[in-house]
Amino acid sequence: MLQSNRIKEVLGLNRRNQEYVRPYNPPSAKRIADNKILTKKLLSAEGISTPSVYKLIKNKKQLQFLDWESLPKSFVIKPNQGTGGNGIIVFYGKKKGENSWIRPNGTTMSQKDITLHIENILEGRFSMGDRSDIAIIEERVRTDPLLKQYSYKGVPDIRIICFNGVPIMAMTRIPTKRSNGTANLHSGAICTGLDISTGITTNSMQMNTKSIFSDTYEGIEYTTDLKVNKKLSGIQIPDWDEILTIALKCQKASKLGYIGVDIALDAEKGPVVFELNARPGLGIQVANQAGLRSRLERIKGLEINSIKHGIRVAKNLFGGEVEESIETVSGRKVVSITEKILLYNKKANLQKTVKASDKEIATAFMDTGIQSSRISVSLANRLGFIDTIKYFNSLNIPKKFDTLKDAQTYIDDNETLIKNEYIKRVAKIIEDGIIKIRPVIEVKTKISGDTQDIEMIITEDLEYLVVIGRNNLKGYLIDTSKTF
Amino acid sequence: MEYTPLTEWILKHGISQQTLELFVIITILATIISISRYIFGSKTYGIYAPIILAISYSYTGFRYGLAITFVVIATTLLSYSILKRIRMHYITRIAINYCLLSIALVIALLVINKYGLGLENMANIPSLAVISIAALSDFFIKQFVQKSFRSSIAILFNTMVIASIGWYVITRDIITAYTINNLWIIPLLIILNIVIGQFKGLRVKDLFRFSSILQDKENVAK
Repeated sequence: MLQSNRIKEVLGLNRRNQEYVRPYNPPSAKRIADNKILTKKLLSAEGISTPSVYKLIKNKKQLQFLDWESLPKSFVIKPNQGTGGNGIIVFYGKKKGENSWIRPNGTTMSQKDITLHIENILEGRFSMGDRSDIAIIEERVRTDPLLKQYSYKGVPDIRIICFNGVPIMAMTRIPTKRSNGTANLHSGAICTGLDISTGITTNSMQMNTKSIFSDTYEGIEYTTDLKVNKKLSGIQIPDWDEILTIALKCQKASKLGYIGVDIALDAEKGPVVFELNARPGLGIQVANQAGLRSRLERIKGLEINSIKHGIRVAKNLFGGEVEESIETVSGRKVVSITEKILLYNKKANLQKTVKASDKEIATAFMDTGIQSSRISVSLANRLGFIDTIKYFNSLNIPKKFDTLKDAQTYIDDNETLIKNEYIKRVAKIIEDGIIKIRPVIEVKTKISGDTQDIEMIITEDLEYLVVIGRNNLKGYLIDTSKTF
Repeated sequence: MEYTPLTEWILKHGISQQTLELFVIITILATIISISRYIFGSKTYGIYAPIILAISYSYTGFRYGLAITFVVIATTLLSYSILKRIRMHYITRIAINYCLLSIALVIALLVINKYGLGLENMANIPSLAVISIAALSDFFIKQFVQKSFRSSIAILFNTMVIASIGWYVITRDIITAYTINNLWIIPLLIILNIVIGQFKGLRVKDLFRFSSILQDKENVAK
């Protein structure tokens, strides 16, 4: 069954074009993104690395006088205004003693074949609108060893969609045998979602070859064509924050409000920008198993002051796919060291339906250094325990004890005197170096989607209104990286 | 046939009924294509190819039209798969393809003339309509070269489905008679296209494409 609320989260082609591409990508910016030479000029002026250009061939005369000997053994030929990877040919090396070059699939192309291919590029066979074009002969990116081990020849790349100065969603495209070493999803490359906060791979999908009338994908867990196939999830993309920074720099430089930035990891140069895309495809949603629309709407209208701010916003709003994966593997939920939790009014324990006014949201501190959870007296009052606290204060219990043993003895001797249905027990604690006895109440609490009744010691007001102790942290993993 | 005053006035001022029918039909076909593109997500070889194909089918007859289409596509596939092995310029390859296509169509007509094959009297169909269908070859190869065989076949299928729907609509006498007498339909189609042009919802094809996200409620990050 299709979920109607999910439909609102997914971005379709109609909305992409009307709400994002047209309003946010001015024609002048699109013209630059559609032109690889202009893009390279723009990005290099901003200090962003792109593959080096060896030769530009603008006409047949230049092709006729091309100095083939001056070309390095490996290079890439691409049309300046090509689309969807059409017309791009990669050469790995030159065949010994022959005037021919080796392609990723092992076949060779002679100088005459390459000349003909370049002529086709010049005639505009691979270009938008069939206009005459320029052929670019450029450096071949040497894939970073980490990603190389997952790829069948070719160069895997990372696509990041940015909107309004915030990286919204990312994926990596891994070439396969079926895609003939290209990172083109329609040809059969694997797309793997990336957790925007960590750069760790999550879900992987590959286009279904059986269905030719609709672009449907199927889930995939391992690479397909390697001698030893590897698990695709859990791969940490190196230099993740640098990659996000580059993507946002590209957006700023290009003036494209809604952009797809394609970045490859070169073994020597690090991240290099392959291409800017003014109309990025929507397959990234399948790779991430998440909708773009809901993310874009959350970002629309936000004022982003800097690249760092944009990255921080993305990490805070859209990170967490990896946490969900960890939960699936370990059966434990990941919570931040400070986590927003929901606490219910004491009446909520007795009622079937809970009104909005019977709930309080508070930032809780996850503290594995203490056994029992604690709640500040002011929050306990707000949750309806004011009479309980008044009653406890009226009991004339000593304000301090010399030793913990004294406090325990007092508790053992006087516990039966405490007659209040909401006080579950009393506990001895050390507050500001003073040993005290405090009441313990039970509060219905929701942490990371799970509701449980938690026994909390009422204390003086703390830095955090609630501190969750070890007793109530079983089943959770604490992520200490989220301390914003 | 009785006409409304506006239609009658147009027909009396130098426009034949057939021309008027054709113009009205084009607006209907163009709207069918825009609906199929933006509501269903069905990509065709532009707007021109399905219109020409639908009109051609109306001249050749649907059965004959399909037979010619089959000959055109089969010949194109065969000739292109051979020609791409030979080093030559793109346009020369297309020109050779058209030469082979002409030969194949003549052979097909001769075979049909001799054996019938349920397509008797095929030689009588207008040659311009046959040539219009043959133009499909160019669209097919361009898509094949720029994208892939798979996408070209898919788009060919969509184009033929839309052309078939178009053929069905325009060959209903009741529809053509009604439309040329109710020319207000044209501004209505303009309004309908404006509405479709503003449509931002998911296309039917998107629903299939993103079915894994739409169906799995656990996986969608909010």
